[in-house]
Amino acid sequence: MEALFFNVENGYLEAIVRGFKSGILTSNHYLNLTQCETLEDLKLQLASTDYGNFLQNEPSPIATTTIAEKAREKLVAEFNYIRANAVKPLATFLDYITYAYMIDNVILLITGTLHERDTNDLLERCHPLGMFDTIAALCVATNVQELYSTVLVDSPLAPYFEKCLSAHDLDEMNIEIIRNTLYKAYLEDFYNYCQMLGSPTSEVMGEILQFEADRRVINITINSFNTELSKDDRAKLYPTCGKLYPDGTAKLSKSDDIDQVRMVVETDAQYRQFFDLPVGAERSLEDKFFEYEVFLNKKSFLRQFHFGVFYSYLKLREQEIRNIVWIAECIAQHQKERINNYIPIF
Amino acid sequence: MPGNLLRSEDMSLIQLYIPLEIAQPTVAELGELGQIQFRDLNPDVNAFQRAFVNEVRRLDEMERKLRFLRTQIDKAEIPVRSLEGSMYYARSTTQQEIDELEERLAEHEARIQQMNNSLETLNKRYLELTELRHVLRETSVFFEEAGSRTDELLGGAHQEDSHLLSPAAGADDSEAAERGEGGSRGANLGFVAGVIPRARMATFERILFRALRGNLYMNFAEIDEPIVDPVTDETVKKNVFIIFAHGKEIIAKIRKICESMGATLYPVSDRPEKRREDALEVLARLEDLKHVLDSTRNARRQELAKVAENIEVWTTIVKKEKAIYYTMNMFNYDVNRKALIADGWCPTDSINAIQYALRGVTERTGSTIPPILNELHTTKEPPTYLRTNKFTVGFQEIIDAYGVAKYHEVNPGLFTVITFPFLFAVMFGDFGHGILVTVFAAWMVNQEKTLEKKKWGEIWGTFFGGRYIILLMGVFSIYTGLIYNDIFSKAMNIFGSGWNFVKEPHAEKWIGEQTGVYPFGVDPAWMGAENMLIFSNSYKMKMAIVMGVMHMTFGICLNVVNYIHFGQRMSIYLEFIPQITFLLSIFGYLVVLILNKWATYYPDPSQAPGLLNTLIYMVLSPGNVSEKDQIYPGQAGLQTFLVLLALICVPWMLLGKPYYLKRQHAKRGALGYAGLSDENIPDPSRPSEDSNAGGHGESSGLVDPHGDGSHGGEMGHEEHFDFGEIMIHQMIHTIEFCLNCISNTASYLRLWALSLAHAQLSEVLWEMVLAGVLTDTIAPGLLPFAIVIAFALWFVLTVSILLVMEGLSAFLHALRLHWVEFNGKFYAGTGTKFEPFAFATVLKEVEE
Repeated sequence: MEALFFNVENGYLEAIVRGFKSGILTSNHYLNLTQCETLEDLKLQLASTDYGNFLQNEPSPIATTTIAEKAREKLVAEFNYIRANAVKPLATFLDYITYAYMIDNVILLITGTLHERDTNDLLERCHPLGMFDTIAALCVATNVQELYSTVLVDSPLAPYFEKCLSAHDLDEMNIEIIRNTLYKAYLEDFYNYCQMLGSPTSEVMGEILQFEADRRVINITINSFNTELSKDDRAKLYPTCGKLYPDGTAKLSKSDDIDQVRMVVETDAQYRQFFDLPVGAERSLEDKFFEYEVFLNKKSFLRQFHFGVFYSYLKLREQEIRNIVWIAECIAQHQKERINNYIPIF
Repeated sequence: MPGNLLRSEDMSLIQLYIPLEIAQPTVAELGELGQIQFRDLNPDVNAFQRAFVNEVRRLDEMERKLRFLRTQIDKAEIPVRSLEGSMYYARSTTQQEIDELEERLAEHEARIQQMNNSLETLNKRYLELTELRHVLRETSVFFEEAGSRTDELLGGAHQEDSHLLSPAAGADDSEAAERGEGGSRGANLGFVAGVIPRARMATFERILFRALRGNLYMNFAEIDEPIVDPVTDETVKKNVFIIFAHGKEIIAKIRKICESMGATLYPVSDRPEKRREDALEVLARLEDLKHVLDSTRNARRQELAKVAENIEVWTTIVKKEKAIYYTMNMFNYDVNRKALIADGWCPTDSINAIQYALRGVTERTGSTIPPILNELHTTKEPPTYLRTNKFTVGFQEIIDAYGVAKYHEVNPGLFTVITFPFLFAVMFGDFGHGILVTVFAAWMVNQEKTLEKKKWGEIWGTFFGGRYIILLMGVFSIYTGLIYNDIFSKAMNIFGSGWNFVKEPHAEKWIGEQTGVYPFGVDPAWMGAENMLIFSNSYKMKMAIVMGVMHMTFGICLNVVNYIHFGQRMSIYLEFIPQITFLLSIFGYLVVLILNKWATYYPDPSQAPGLLNTLIYMVLSPGNVSEKDQIYPGQAGLQTFLVLLALICVPWMLLGKPYYLKRQHAKRGALGYAGLSDENIPDPSRPSEDSNAGGHGESSGLVDPHGDGSHGGEMGHEEHFDFGEIMIHQMIHTIEFCLNCISNTASYLRLWALSLAHAQLSEVLWEMVLAGVLTDTIAPGLLPFAIVIAFALWFVLTVSILLVMEGLSAFLHALRLHWVEFNGKFYAGTGTKFEPFAFATVLKEVEE
C-alpha cells in the first residue's frame, strides 16, 4: 500500500534526493582529487563535479576550513530545500534527523561556556541544521536544572532532557553523561518513530539506527575504561535499540578491557569485521564504523518508497565532506602518503 | 562554393605549428577569425595537468576580481558602459598588457575592499549611534511614564510616610522625587537598556521570563526607522527594550542573555539631565559621522564609477584571454622544439584567410619563425558547416533540430526556406490573418537592430529568432488566403463573381447560375452557399494529396543527388528507381486521377466516379473496374499493370542491394584484397592519431547510406561482411518504405484538416462575436458601444486563438511534415556540427 500513495506526497522529494545522490563523488573523482598537488588543483577538480563553482568567489589561497564550510553550506541548503517541501510524516522524520545536530550543538555550547569561550564564536561553530531560536541562551545556564527550565524546555530536545535532570553540576564528566543520555533517548525515540512508520522505512532505518546504537554502545564502553564512570552508570547510557541489546549490552557493561568487548561484539556476524584489524593497520575502529555506515546507507538506496534515503543521503554527503576535507588536509600538510585513507563511497 | 546551402562546406583537417613565443597572439587572431574547430589532442590529460593551467587559473582569479567589482558596482547602482561595436574587439596584444590589467584589478579590488571595510566600520558606528539615539529617546519615555506612575504609587506612600521620613520630601517636585526615590532604590533596582531585532523579541521575552521566574519589569518600543545591517546590507526591524530587575546578579544574568540573543546594550543614565546631555552628544556625533560617511561613500562611488567605465572591456579581454589558454590547452606541447602543435577542422575556403591571419601575426610580432599551416589528408568524417545568414539561419535550425546533416549530404534546409512557409500557409490560409502575421514579422525585421538587444524572455526570443520564418509564413498565408478567398472568414468579390443567383420559383431557395469564371482563387459566390463545405472539403483534401505526393517525390529524387555525389551510382538503380516507381505507380496515379477529375465536367455530381473506391479496388481486385467508377476505357488493364509494377518494386528493393553487395564482396575476396583494402597506408605528413580511422570506400557507403556516420570513425571499416545483417537491415528498410508511402500520404491530409479547422474556427468566431452586433436587433443608440466592445473581443480572440494558437499548431504540423514525411525520405542527419573556436561565441555565451 505504501507504494501506492508514497509518490503522492514524497515522490518528488525522493526523486530529488536520488538525483542529489547521483552527484556524490565516485572513485574516479577521488582518484583525480588525490592526484592534486595544491588546493587550487582541488578546487579546479571539484568544479567539474556537482559541487560546481561553490568556491568560485573565494579568494585564493583557500583554506581547508573554507572548503569544508562551503561544502557543508551546500549540503545544508539541499537539506533545507527538502525540509521546506516535505509534509508530514516525512517532515517529522526530517526533523528527527536534525535533533542529533541539536544535541551536538547544545553540548558544544555548554562545554564552550564551561571553558569560558565567546558565545558568538561558539554559535558560529554550531552545525546549521541543529539550530533552534533559544539556543543562544544556553550559555547563561550554570546547572542542569537551569539549562532545562530556561532554554531547552521548549526546544524539541526537552523530552530527552527530562531523563538527565538528576545530574547537577556542569562539569566535563557530567556533560559527557548528558550527551550520551540525550543521545540514547534520542536514538530510542527516533527508532520507535521509524518503527511506527511501518515497512519499508522501519526496516531500512531500523538497521541503520540499530547499528548507530551499537556503535555508541561500543564507543561508550571503550571510552569509559579507566574512568570514574561506574559500570552501572555505564549501562544506563547504552541505547536499548541496538542489535547488541539486551545480551550484548549486559556483558559489555561488565567488561574491563578491549578483548572482552571484542568477544561480545564478535557474536554478531556482521560486526565481526570491526575488530578484524591487522596489526599496525592505518584503519582504525572508527574507520571501520564509517565504512559499515556507508555500506548501510548505500544499501538504503536500493529500496524505494521509504524515508531512509533522506537520512542516508545526508550521511553519505557528510562522509564525502569528511573525505574531501581529509584529502585537502593531506594536500595542505604534504602528507601525500596518507591521502588514500578516505572512506570510498561509490 | 561559398555560402552554398545545398551542401555543407568542404572541410580540411589542418595542422598548425605555432612557435611558443607567438602562440598567444596567434590563437587570439584565430579566435577573432573564428574559422577553426580545434581538436583536443590530449583527451586523457587531467584538467589541472595541462600545459597552460597556471595561466587559466590566473585568469580565473582575475575573473573573480571582476565579478567582485561588478557586484559592487551593481550594488551601488552605477550604470555600466555597455559593450558597443568596437569594444567587442578589445583584446590584449601583449603579455605585458595582461600583467598590467591584473595589477590594476588587484589595485582596484584592494582599494574597494579597503573602502568597504572602513565604510563598514563607519556604518557600524553610525548604526550604534542611531540605536543609542533611539534608546535614549524611548527610555526617556519609559522613565517619564514610570516616573508619573511612581508618583501616583509613591505619592500616596509619600504622604503617609512624609512625616516619618522627611518633612521636606512631600514638597519636592516630581522630578526630584523620582530621582530621590530612584537613588534610594537604585541600590537594588537596576536596569538594562538595549536594542534587539524585532523577530527575536518573543523568544527573548520568553527566555527572560523563564530565567528570572518573572522577576522583572520589561518595556519595549518599536523603532519605526528600519535599520540597515552594515554587514549584510539588509534592513532589519528592531525594538528598543528596557528591563528593570532586582539585584546585581540578576542584572548580570540579564546582560548575558541579552548578549547571547544578539541584542546590543547601551549605557543609559538614570538621570534625565545626563540623558538629555547624552542625547545631544549623540546627535552631534551622528552629524559628524554622517559627513565622514558621505565623503567615504562618495570616494567609493567615484572609484567604482571609474571601474564601471572599463569593466566591460576588461571582462571581454579576460574572457578572450581565458578562451585562448583554454584552447591552447588542447594543443600538443612540444617542449623540445618550443612549439605548439594544433589540429583542427576548417572550411577549405578559409585556409587562405587563416594563412593571411597567420602572416599578419608574424609581421606584427616581428617573430623570426612564422607559424606553419599544414593540410592533412584524412579519412575522418569532417564536421558539417553550413554558412547561413540571418535569413536562412532560422530555417536551418529547424532542420538541425532534427539532425545535423552528414558531411556533404544534401541539406533540406535549402528547400525548407520555401516549402515550410508554404505548407504552413496551406493550413493557415486566410488573407486577413496573413496580413496581421506579416505586419508583426515585418515590424520585427524592420526593428531587428534595436530589438536584438532587448531581453524579453525565452518566448520572445523564440519568436524573434524566427522572425524571417514568420514573415514568409505571413506572406504565404496572404497568398493562400487569396486562393481560398478567405479574409477573416469572409470572401472578397474583387473581380465580380462568376455566378448569378436566381430564386427558384417554388422553394425558398436561391440557385446559382454560372455566367463566367472567377479569374483568381475561389469564387466569392461560394461564401454562404449551402454546399460550400462539401466543395471546400473535396477541394482541399485532393489538394493535400497532390501536394503531399509532390513533396515526397521530390524528397525521393533528392536521393539521386546524394548517390551521385557520394559515388554510389548503383544505388540509383537498386534503390531510387524501385522507390520512385512504387510511389508513382500507386499515388502518382491517384494524383493523375485527381487532376483528371478536376478537369472533367460532370453534369450530375452524384454520377462522378469515387476516386477513393477506385484506388482501393485497384489494389484489392485488380483487373476489375465497376461500371460506376469507370473513368476511361482500358482503365482495368492500366491499373493492373501499375499494381504489378508496384509489386515488382518490392522484391527489387529488398533483394537488389544485398545481392549487389554480396557480389562485390565476393569479387574483392577473389582478388585477395579482402584484408588489404582496409589497411591504412601511413601518411608521412600526418601524426599517428588518425590510424584508428578507416577509409570509406564505395561499398561501405553503400551498406547503409543512412548510418555509416555512426560507425565511420571508430570501427573504420574493419568490415566483417555479414550478409544476414545486411539482409535484415534491407528488409526493415523496404517494409518501412512501403508502409510509409501509404501512411505518409495519409499524413498529408493534415493539410486539409487544419486548413478546414482554421476556416471553420474563424467563421465561428465571426458568427458568435461580431455578427451578433451587426444586426438591427440592437437599439441604434447602443450600437456604437456594442460594436466597439464586440470588435475588441473579436480582435483579441482572433489574435490569441486564431493567430497564436492555431498558428502554433499549424507550425507544428508543418514541422512534422518536414521532419518525418520529407526528411525521412532521404536525409541521414548523422553529422556533427562545426563549432569553430570564435570569440564571438565565447562572448555570447557570457552574455547569456
